[in-house]
Amino acid sequence: MSRLLLARLTVPALAALFAVWSPPVAPAGAATGAETFGSVCAACHTIGGGKRVGPDLAGVNDRRPAEWLLKFIRSSQALVESGDPVAVALFAEHKVAMPDFPYSDSEIREILEFVKRGGAGGAAQPPAAAALRTTTPEDVRKGLELFQGTLRFANRGPACNSCHHVNNDAVIGGGILAKELTTVFGQMGGPGVQAILGKPPFPVMDQAFASRPLTEDEIFALVAFLQDADQHQQFQKPRDYGFKLFTSGLAGLVFLLALYGLFWRRRKVHPVNHAIFARQVRTQ
Amino acid sequence: MDIRAQISMVFHLDKCIGCHTCSVACKNIWTDRKGAEYQWWNNVETKPGTGYPGRWEDQEIYKGGWQRDTNGGIQLKGAGKKKGLINIFHNPNFPTVEDYYEPFTYDYLNLVEAPAGDDQPTARPVSLITGEPIDVKMGPNWDDDLGGTPDYARNDPNLEKLSPAEREAMFQLERMAFFYLPRICNHCLNPGCVASCPSGAIYKRGEDGIVLINQKVCRAWRMCVTACPYKKAYYNWYTGKSEKCILCYPRLEAGLAPACMHSCVGRIRYIGVLLYDAERIQAAASAADADLVARHLDMLVDPFDEEVIAAAQKNGVPDSTIKAAQDSPTYRFVKEWRLALPLHPEFRTLPMLFYVPPLLPVVASVREVADEQKKKSLNEISKVWPDNWLYDTSTEELWGTVEQVRFPLQYLASLFSAGDTGAVAARLKKLMAVRIFRRFKTVGDVSEEIMTKVLADTGLTQETAEAIFRLTALAKFNERFVIPPAHREQALEMLEFTGDARGSTGFGFRERPARGL
Ligand code: SF4
Ligand code: SF4
Repeated sequence: MSRLLLARLTVPALAALFAVWSPPVAPAGAATGAETFGSVCAACHTIGGGKRVGPDLAGVNDRRPAEWLLKFIRSSQALVESGDPVAVALFAEHKVAMPDFPYSDSEIREILEFVKRGGAGGAAQPPAAAALRTTTPEDVRKGLELFQGTLRFANRGPACNSCHHVNNDAVIGGGILAKELTTVFGQMGGPGVQAILGKPPFPVMDQAFASRPLTEDEIFALVAFLQDADQHQQFQKPRDYGFKLFTSGLAGLVFLLALYGLFWRRRKVHPVNHAIFARQVRTQ
Repeated sequence: MDIRAQISMVFHLDKCIGCHTCSVACKNIWTDRKGAEYQWWNNVETKPGTGYPGRWEDQEIYKGGWQRDTNGGIQLKGAGKKKGLINIFHNPNFPTVEDYYEPFTYDYLNLVEAPAGDDQPTARPVSLITGEPIDVKMGPNWDDDLGGTPDYARNDPNLEKLSPAEREAMFQLERMAFFYLPRICNHCLNPGCVASCPSGAIYKRGEDGIVLINQKVCRAWRMCVTACPYKKAYYNWYTGKSEKCILCYPRLEAGLAPACMHSCVGRIRYIGVLLYDAERIQAAASAADADLVARHLDMLVDPFDEEVIAAAQKNGVPDSTIKAAQDSPTYRFVKEWRLALPLHPEFRTLPMLFYVPPLLPVVASVREVADEQKKKSLNEISKVWPDNWLYDTSTEELWGTVEQVRFPLQYLASLFSAGDTGAVAARLKKLMAVRIFRRFKTVGDVSEEIMTKVLADTGLTQETAEAIFRLTALAKFNERFVIPPAHREQALEMLEFTGDARGSTGFGFRERPARGL
């Protein structure tokens, strides 16, 4: 407990807020746990830094039995579904399902060990000065362009609106494959969003950007844009075409089919001996 | 003058017995493959009939070949730059597999393997495309079996020009006749297939004019299938490439006749080089219908003419090819004797396969003769016919029978001369004249006077008549097939620099030897 307290004191709150995946320099023994925490867990969790996407993990080893932690980390949803009251309560509180992590028992124990140490020997340090910069309308505009894909990511990753939507006048019809991001900034805060963009904890997103990571500048711009979207959401009134979009699509289809029918009306549809074949007796 | 050489063919229709040996020879060599089962690069049709694919001659259906435009030029009827581009993903005039026929085999194994039962096992027809049992609706020569039915013979597109009375007369029982029309790719001088190909995959070989589809370049647009009015470009649904008759070029390069010609039982086929003036192609292809045949023949030039020879040499035609052109049986039939005609010249592709139109079966006259004396002189056991009518095929009234041939001139003209009955009649008269001449010589029941008169009428000399007879009836392989040496070494040198291979591994390795080099 004293170590935890110590950690809380030694790691300045602000720094912890901005903690991200910066490669931890850790003593050899604790390297794996520290590394994994820094690159994966830190996207959503802090150790003594307060709630981010998920709960603050300080003292988690004391709060929950080790067995339970192993199960939860491997598959939180399985636990929720099994009706475990603690898991259900956590899910109800945080609303974001924690992704499954295919780590071995010993790997998980190492991470937990690292947490127990309070992040000592590799605690995520406040990274990138960029994150501390104040955002400018320039950044917001760049973020919008990146989000929509009008500006390509430097490493050629897919544009955000392939899967996500944001309620914003400038954005038309983003994807519906993943979460709607209008209020994500409010929910997770800048560092959380930034952490997720740097090292997505979601398997699909991770796959998509694994070999095409976003640059720091890009992340900053996107965070700025999402912040802007969150703050100004009340004033945004993007047009909702609703059913009209569907009906106009249908009308277009009918029009095109009619056009094709007209264009190829002299098409040879039947074989020349169609009449003969039609009256032939068929075996059944 | 731009003299080039072209391998051309002549089919003598009076000699075809409709045995389909040619088709089978071709199929066994080239189209016995998946996706090509329905393709008959060589097929033999029964005329009158609708042919294969059904009603192929009707370009209102298939839109093949060329048509004259308003400025006297020619345009492809159903393909070409504009129409081709508009219809590139959706070809509206495309023959379907039912127009050819669904290829099938029989379930022979069932005959041997069927379990014991009350009924005799049968071999059901099975589709070669789906593998399912099918009802056979059509075959590559359906007309042969169903020629007399109103659905087939009477739907021959060539009958359209005939008056209803003429048409009826053709199908009277006593007059009913048919002939065979073997067809291969014509290796045209103005090929619609080549002109239509959006990928530029089809080309006409420079040295002998054989039209080929490059299988690596073909992109399955299938424009050639539409554009060839003879429907001799086929689409292989399995390989996704179009294919056509290659005139057995690997055999030709080895000095052998194409398989269909080599195997032809009726010996109806001739192959030889024709020299033509490429500058006249345009005039020939865009001539008015009435002049089509004449322009077509004008294009073919005399291989003995000094000027022609010089021009050919200047164009790089090898001397051996010029020599082959001089010995060519096709030059004789087509140009010298003017006995052969192109099939459907009105499609304007300038086909290089010519047909000697069918004279047979000749119409005989029946007349009463006084043969009492003759009968009395016979031995008593000999069979004596009670009547005294003579079924006379020697034709007392000479040309009368040509006008009354079994196939109305108009019908033959629709096939072979774009409606010019004169061109067909002239050829039939020559054939008749040679017949009469030979009858005078061998049977002896025609007077010399008549023989001389028919020869004079048709402008033949006795020597020419004899030569026609010899090439028609007696010619051996080497006279029927005069194949120029291929000179592949020259073609090869045009494609690659032989110095590249010099000093390396001899003739080269197809596969590197296992022991290494
Ligand atoms: S017959 Fe048809 S496939 Fe053959 S060259 Fe002529 S147009 Fe082409
Ligand atoms: S092999 Fe000769 S005779 Fe027999 S069908 Fe073919 S062309 Fe006619």
